[in-house]
Amino acid sequence: MSNEAGIRDALRQWIADTNGKAGTTDLADDTPLFRNGILKSVQVSDLILYIEELAERAVDVEQIKPGVFRDINSIYRNFFAGNHA
Amino acid sequence: MTTLPELTERLCRISREHFIDPFSRLEWPETLDRDQWFMSPELISLHGTEHFDSMSEEQQQLLSFFEIVNFFSINIHGERMLIEGLAKRLYRKHTEVVSPYLHHFLDEENKHMFYFGRFCNQYAGKVYAEKKLTVEREYAEGEEEFLFFARAMLFEEMVDVYNRRMAKDQQLVPLSREINWLHHFEEARHLAFGRRLVEELYATHGAGWPDNVRRRITDELVQFLEATWKEFFNPEVYKDAGLPDAYALRREVLADESVAARRIALCTRCARTLLKVGLLSEECIQ
Repeated sequence: MSNEAGIRDALRQWIADTNGKAGTTDLADDTPLFRNGILKSVQVSDLILYIEELAERAVDVEQIKPGVFRDINSIYRNFFAGNHA
Repeated sequence: MTTLPELTERLCRISREHFIDPFSRLEWPETLDRDQWFMSPELISLHGTEHFDSMSEEQQQLLSFFEIVNFFSINIHGERMLIEGLAKRLYRKHTEVVSPYLHHFLDEENKHMFYFGRFCNQYAGKVYAEKKLTVEREYAEGEEEFLFFARAMLFEEMVDVYNRRMAKDQQLVPLSREINWLHHFEEARHLAFGRRLVEELYATHGAGWPDNVRRRITDELVQFLEATWKEFFNPEVYKDAGLPDAYALRREVLADESVAARRIALCTRCARTLLKVGLLSEECIQ
């Protein structure tokens, strides 16, 4: 998937499905995912694998910097917008 | 019941008397043919699904090679986390009693990582990457300490179920069987120590935790169990074994009823210390 809006929507849907209570309309691109308790740290592994699937390449976890999963904007910027983590 | 200082002394004595040198104990063939069983078929992540049933025995054995590399990689990452945490806890006020055993624990975990790492690098040319990150947060009194040892115990309980079964499986490549046996032999002591320490830490801190902290701890431990279980379903393994649509395959297999039943049975068994103290219930593992 290479379309920016499509990627953001796919991430939003995955986050809503994983949370189980939040709907996609509750999730703006700048909604803090971990600070607001929408995702938990143990769900990062599944998120990384989902990002790999969307990006069609492996994520190098050792290169990941703090804050890359802060919100949908951060995830898009770090993994899909050419500035890969 | 044996006190923690008594158990610590006993485990130190056994570690000294049953010292194993893995550097000379294991025989390492230069290469290993991949048309053999490296992991017991019933422990392979796809086992019990139609995907596994539709594979030839040769394909299943190739998958078993990459699955054992993944299993050893999971062990490497879990033990590295353990070593980091144990080293931080040496000779602190609250760990004075157990510090003598922490030395053996660290020494043995380091040796385990040696043979797991050598197997992965020598025969697969890699260790599968860890996909876990910890998000920093604040903790209640005793919570961080308890969670560290409870996670360590759950991790070791889970890998020990695999070790014990493969240590006895005569159809496995001897090196794989031997590594599993060696690991189980020393992990049995670590588990006895871990279970006792977790009970002790819970008795010390548990009563002081308000309901929201207890719920948070319960949630984290249940999620840790599930996340650890999911590490056995690695899309990189499926790609290496030549299986198509690796990510979709992972999702599909994790949703399979027989796989979910295996998860519940395994996690319930691994959580028995936490079920015993009443922090977890069988319902929350479903």
